[in-house]
Amino acid sequence: MYEVLMYDGGVHKIDELLDLIEDVGGFVLQRTQVQVMITLTIAIPAEDRPLIEKKAAELGGKIIEVPLAGTEIAVIGPTLGRHHMPHPICDIAEHLRRYGAITIVMGLARGRGRKTCQISAAEKAIIEEYDAAIFMLGNFKECVTHEKIDLYKDIQIPVVAVIGPELESLPHCEALVCGVGRKVERMRRSEEIAKLEEIADRVKEVIDKRRKEIEEDPLFVHPSEVKEVLEDMDAVQECLRPAPVVLHVDGLRVKIPYKKHLKEMEELEVYGRKLKDIAIISDCRLGDSTIIKIKTKAEVEGKVR
Amino acid sequence: MEFELEGTERYALESYQWLLERILMDMGISTLVEQVHLIIRPDQTLFIISMRIKQSGSKRPVYDIAEMESKEGGTFINIKDESYAPRLLSSLWRLYGRERVQQLTRLEIFVEDVPKEELSDMKLDPEEEVRSQLLDAMWRLLPEGLKLRNEYFNDNVMTIVATEHDMTVDFLAEAQKVHEKMIKGPEED
Repeated sequence: MYEVLMYDGGVHKIDELLDLIEDVGGFVLQRTQVQVMITLTIAIPAEDRPLIEKKAAELGGKIIEVPLAGTEIAVIGPTLGRHHMPHPICDIAEHLRRYGAITIVMGLARGRGRKTCQISAAEKAIIEEYDAAIFMLGNFKECVTHEKIDLYKDIQIPVVAVIGPELESLPHCEALVCGVGRKVERMRRSEEIAKLEEIADRVKEVIDKRRKEIEEDPLFVHPSEVKEVLEDMDAVQECLRPAPVVLHVDGLRVKIPYKKHLKEMEELEVYGRKLKDIAIISDCRLGDSTIIKIKTKAEVEGKVR
Repeated sequence: MEFELEGTERYALESYQWLLERILMDMGISTLVEQVHLIIRPDQTLFIISMRIKQSGSKRPVYDIAEMESKEGGTFINIKDESYAPRLLSSLWRLYGRERVQQLTRLEIFVEDVPKEELSDMKLDPEEEVRSQLLDAMWRLLPEGLKLRNEYFNDNVMTIVATEHDMTVDFLAEAQKVHEKMIKGPEED
């Protein structure tokens, strides 16, 4: 079982840490260097964590837990209008990034209003490409409990609903956070930061639950192992988009065109098998990307036999 | 600023009061509002907001804020109260066109072919700008989905009623009632 951690420290002797990560069979998921400081997001076998911690301490850096690393989360508001954006949607997205998640912000085309609010099939399909979705539903209890729940009712990924009024529970969502409604300024008061923490905690719980479900029928390979192979592709190396390969809980998003590179991706070798045999490769709904869903061990081995 | 809240959901009312306070503070006009009446009934999809602005003095004549001097071919104006400069300039542009109004320096204006007497009679309305700012604040506050709107306004009270599907006669009557109550002011309630 891989564990995702973040190393924060200086560049001095960083090669020693990188070698150690490679020796234990781990991967560097993301590397950000600013002058002499470096931040590494790494995936390592859980049993080798003490070794990495010891080396990090030796180099004067520190290891930070990033419970949401390796996930991509969508934060969704009713519209992109200034009534809903940028606060608090961007505040939530930004806060989740501190826990290692990659987040996107999305506004629905016709999400505003009470009886007129709606979500299209295309929007649902886009949202379902992510690991979890956070829906901001506003200040009116009557509106949230009667109409807005329909926005996320049929969505197949875990949903965290964030609303203003205090409610005990809300149907069809995996978690609920109350007390965050419309805002016209940044969430920077202590009670607002506590609410952001609460949202992050709920998302962590939802993702942990998803990971546990996957563990029951484990994936054939960890997504980070596929990432390593994908990164050798010329198209990925030439890709100028930020984070060309993004990890999901059960797969990856590669920001290269599906149609153009499908054949090449299908033929990539991971542990002696072709990628097309161990994963489902499909087109992404959002501009020129590819979604890879890794099959479970049972699916792959059953088929081979 | 005094708030009167009326509706079916406590949280919605309090949060919208807070939102309005922050919006007005952001725009730097919170001192101009005297009283606000909010009616929010999500079960009926009804939102009414009525605001009364403070009387910030009557219209000021131009001779009060500037010195004027007749010159050959027009009038020379030297503005004394700088806060009125943009309003005076835009009024002059509107009345005489940009070709005839020259801004020589920040506070000096020359108006071609207009006698001094005509300019002295001009009056500037300080509340015109305030009203447009308040309207902007109300539009920022109103929930985005409530697209059916009706406005009532007079010199110092503005009322907007908003709903989603059907603007009923009852909604309009209620808004009008609130509007009239706000015009009368607190002492006559």
